[in-house]
Amino acid sequence: MKFLSTSEKQTLNFAKKFAGKLKGGEVLCLVGDLGAGKTAFTKGLAAGLGVKNTVTSPTFVLMKNYKVSGKGIKHLAHIDAYRLEGGAQLLGIGAEDYFGDAECVTVIEWADRVKDIWPKDAIKIEFKIGKGDKREINIR
Amino acid sequence: MIILAIETSCDETSAAVLKSTRGHLELLANVVSSQIDIHKQYGGVVPEVAARMHVKNILPVVMEALATAKVKPEQIDLIAPTAGPGLSTSLIIGLETAKTLSLAWKKPLLAVNHMYSHIAANFLKGQVKFPAACLVVSGGHTEIVHLKNYWQSKKLGQTVDDAAGEAFDKVAKLLGLGYPGGPIVSKMALNGDTEKYNFPRPMMSANNFDFSFSGLKTAVLYQSKKENLKWEPTVCDFCASFEQAVIDVLTNKTIKAAKKFKVKTVMMAGGVAANRKLRETLEDKAKEAGFEFMVPEFKLCTDNAAMVAIAAYYLSQKKKVKLDNYKKAVADPNWELV
Ligand SMILES: Nc1ncnc2c1ncn2[C@@H]1O[C@H](COP(=O)(O)OP(=O)(O)OP(=O)(O)O)[C@@H](O)[C@H]1O
Ligand SMILES: [Mg+2]
Repeated sequence: MKFLSTSEKQTLNFAKKFAGKLKGGEVLCLVGDLGAGKTAFTKGLAAGLGVKNTVTSPTFVLMKNYKVSGKGIKHLAHIDAYRLEGGAQLLGIGAEDYFGDAECVTVIEWADRVKDIWPKDAIKIEFKIGKGDKREINIR
Repeated sequence: MIILAIETSCDETSAAVLKSTRGHLELLANVVSSQIDIHKQYGGVVPEVAARMHVKNILPVVMEALATAKVKPEQIDLIAPTAGPGLSTSLIIGLETAKTLSLAWKKPLLAVNHMYSHIAANFLKGQVKFPAACLVVSGGHTEIVHLKNYWQSKKLGQTVDDAAGEAFDKVAKLLGLGYPGGPIVSKMALNGDTEKYNFPRPMMSANNFDFSFSGLKTAVLYQSKKENLKWEPTVCDFCASFEQAVIDVLTNKTIKAAKKFKVKTVMMAGGVAANRKLRETLEDKAKEAGFEFMVPEFKLCTDNAAMVAIAAYYLSQKKKVKLDNYKKAVADPNWELV
């Protein structure tokens, strides 16, 4: 699925809607350059899932866990691999606990840096920066 | 009372010894073993590498702190490790070491919040006139904290996306500069024009005490595509204009909060508080508005155990510390001040 966004708001809304399709247990692998909108997308996703807290960039803390108030999905794990060199390091900080947890949606920014540990059914979401505020979002 | 503090929340291994005599604090030792040179080659902190270095350094650093302070284990009254926020793999090494020492030496343990420690670095300077507003800025945090007294704090606002330190690092990356981004950007900014690029001041006039730096990152990104970044003067102008935008937002909002909550003192804390221009600007604005101003000396702004010891001293005045505390202490990577 391809989506052309022309503003941050559109990306937020698109992610919000996309959240409605999630059932729990998904691992979303976000790939794209600095400022491409990975965190913006995750903010929309969190809003769509019903997260109350402000979603901030996890670059420094590497991993944040948000409570989801709703039906099947109980939490959102927001991971950032920007500072990592390979998947082993991600497992080293306990990310494994979230993979395959049916009550958890996992989002990984800079997922291309930890490609070696993507689960088989990972959903890849690619962000390309176009002219100005244009962003191309590809989900597969 | 003699406190041994241990700090390993990110990439510095540190131990400090603090002595209090009827409320007078004396820092006897503050040993910091930095890993910056090791992480430079990766362009950032690598958790696994950091953890391995902590393991290697922790006991020598603790022993050096005790030796420098001329304090024997039996003279210690309290052991104070950082328990969060931070990298889980780094935190556990300092915390578990402290728990082990607590058990072996039969000394009580008090787990301390890293952000409160940053703020507490100010308390070494002497009596604080409360209430106070503290701007806490580091790689992972950007927040304004209201302090009613030494113990009661309340977060007034925080970044809604990137932290200020993170923005410095990412802008350094966009401009093709090295790691850590903050010091490099500030250094290049000295030779640049702060008004060359009119970068946005996100949320500066918004009616709250929150910050946003992702838009600033994006503005630098867009502009950088139009310029020749191989030409050093241009990069310097980028750094100067970017740094000015960050400083304007941070200082204006802090003063606004200080006025709204009618505080007596404006303080700052955290690694980014080592930024000379930010310190000077906030000091000028605070004094101009009639507030007292406090900022820790440079070496107490970046991560260190001295600030943890100071925090532990004040907390121990309010909280009972028990001998078996080591049984309950666990690392909490997302431990936020409320
Ligand atoms: N169409 C768009 N969709 C998303 N964000 C947009 C769009 N247009 C502009 N932006 C801006 O781009 C920036 C995206 O920043 P964000 O922090 O989300 O990126 P990121 O991919 O997470 O970057 P990083 O690699 O630093 O983590 C924001 O400043 C946002 O306002
Ligand atoms: Mg991001």
